[in-house]
Amino acid sequence: MPAVLGFEGSANKIGVGVVRDGKVLANPRRTYVTPPGTGFLPGDTARHHRAVILDLLQEALTEAGLTSEDIDCIAYTKGPGMGAPLVSVAVVARTVAQLWNKPLLGVNHCIGHIEMGRLITGATNPTVLYVSGGNTQVIAYSEHRYRIFGETIDIAVGNCLDRFARVLKISNDPSPGYNIEQMAKRGKKLVELPYTVKGMDVSFSGILSFIEDVAQRMLSTGECTPEDLCFSLQETVFAMLVEITERAMAHCGSQEALIVGGVGCNVRLQEMMETMCQERGARLFATDERFCIDNGAMIAQAGWEMFQAGHRTPLSESGITQRYRTDEVEVTWRD
Amino acid sequence: MQEAGGDAGGGSRAGGSGSRGRRGVGGGRSGPRSAGTTSAADHGAPGVGPAQHSLRPGGDPWSPAQRPGSRPCVFTLNVPFPSALEAEIARGSLAPDAEPHRGAVGKELTASGSVLAVCWRAEDCRLLRISIVNFLDQLSLVMRTMQRFGPPVAR
Repeated sequence: MPAVLGFEGSANKIGVGVVRDGKVLANPRRTYVTPPGTGFLPGDTARHHRAVILDLLQEALTEAGLTSEDIDCIAYTKGPGMGAPLVSVAVVARTVAQLWNKPLLGVNHCIGHIEMGRLITGATNPTVLYVSGGNTQVIAYSEHRYRIFGETIDIAVGNCLDRFARVLKISNDPSPGYNIEQMAKRGKKLVELPYTVKGMDVSFSGILSFIEDVAQRMLSTGECTPEDLCFSLQETVFAMLVEITERAMAHCGSQEALIVGGVGCNVRLQEMMETMCQERGARLFATDERFCIDNGAMIAQAGWEMFQAGHRTPLSESGITQRYRTDEVEVTWRD
Repeated sequence: MQEAGGDAGGGSRAGGSGSRGRRGVGGGRSGPRSAGTTSAADHGAPGVGPAQHSLRPGGDPWSPAQRPGSRPCVFTLNVPFPSALEAEIARGSLAPDAEPHRGAVGKELTASGSVLAVCWRAEDCRLLRISIVNFLDQLSLVMRTMQRFGPPVAR
């Protein structure tokens, strides 16, 4: 019964998790929050991670009730993500792997989300909608790869939401997306925004430019409120995501959908996806914010699967990489 | 050559001593002094390899010695560890990640005995400085990790 330690820090969340045989034994996490109107920069984010990671590691071991001897494998996020934060986390993973003489495993961040989603929800073979601040992909498993059926051709949907939050100076605590969601609930008027689905793919940068422009104009004339804009942006981008997910499900004949990634916490998105699934007679799966949002246990879980399947990452090949496609990994642990 | 002092396994003071290095800016046409800096290290002398660029009147930044592809800025750092194993562990943790500006800055890490030796070669001082500062931050983290979760288990 191997116990795997997982390190995650590719964006502004840093987490260390412990998983043993499908049980999450610990999953502490910290978020680097910047002032309203600003985003997080790589150097500052890395500095934040370096300051807290060792405390988090200790917390994870204590919460799991384990010592270094009980750990069988050290997993960490190899990519994709922001360079300096990824390095800060990877050097700690490599150091403890060597100190404790344990095997090392570099994990793809996107696959971490998928494997944790599968574990927590029990979905057997879902079409996955992976939506976060850094990624927007529709993924389906086929012949030992997580294949990307559709994705954003420019920025992630979460990036669009986060950058819009900056324009309105919405607080980043606990996350800009959460605060947009709360404001959207009070929105009454639907402002028409561009709807940019491109076949199997989506585009968000044009919508962002448009709404940044509209915000200036309409807020000064009082034509609409910030809440109306939050509501309109969510309705538009989420409808686009539902459309491309449905398209992929139709192609695959899939009866299950799974939402993973930070934007997956959004209840409105879950509602809209649920409506689509019901219309198709399919089942929707989603996780709560402990596992939707970047966390260490998801890396540990993917690491656990990889470890059992015999994957190992030699030190010389353990360098981080900012670009790491989901379909680059051979998923040998599934049929 | 920068000597990083410090307690056994303790924090490196290399960051603080960076500014005291000798700088050869302006006109020096001697070649990269890597051989010279190695021996300087033996005498514990501080020194930064001289930068080759000279700004001539008219603003032409290229001196004949600074062709694209040549890396005249050299910096070396020696970090002592309590044991050869720990130096090797540090090397294993810090070596795998590629430099962001691979074309302009490169570094080599070697564990010789209980000393981690790092040698940078860069096309310009600014990128060199950035790389060094980032490296020192990560090195500090590795050392703190070793202090808190070490010593290494017996092999």
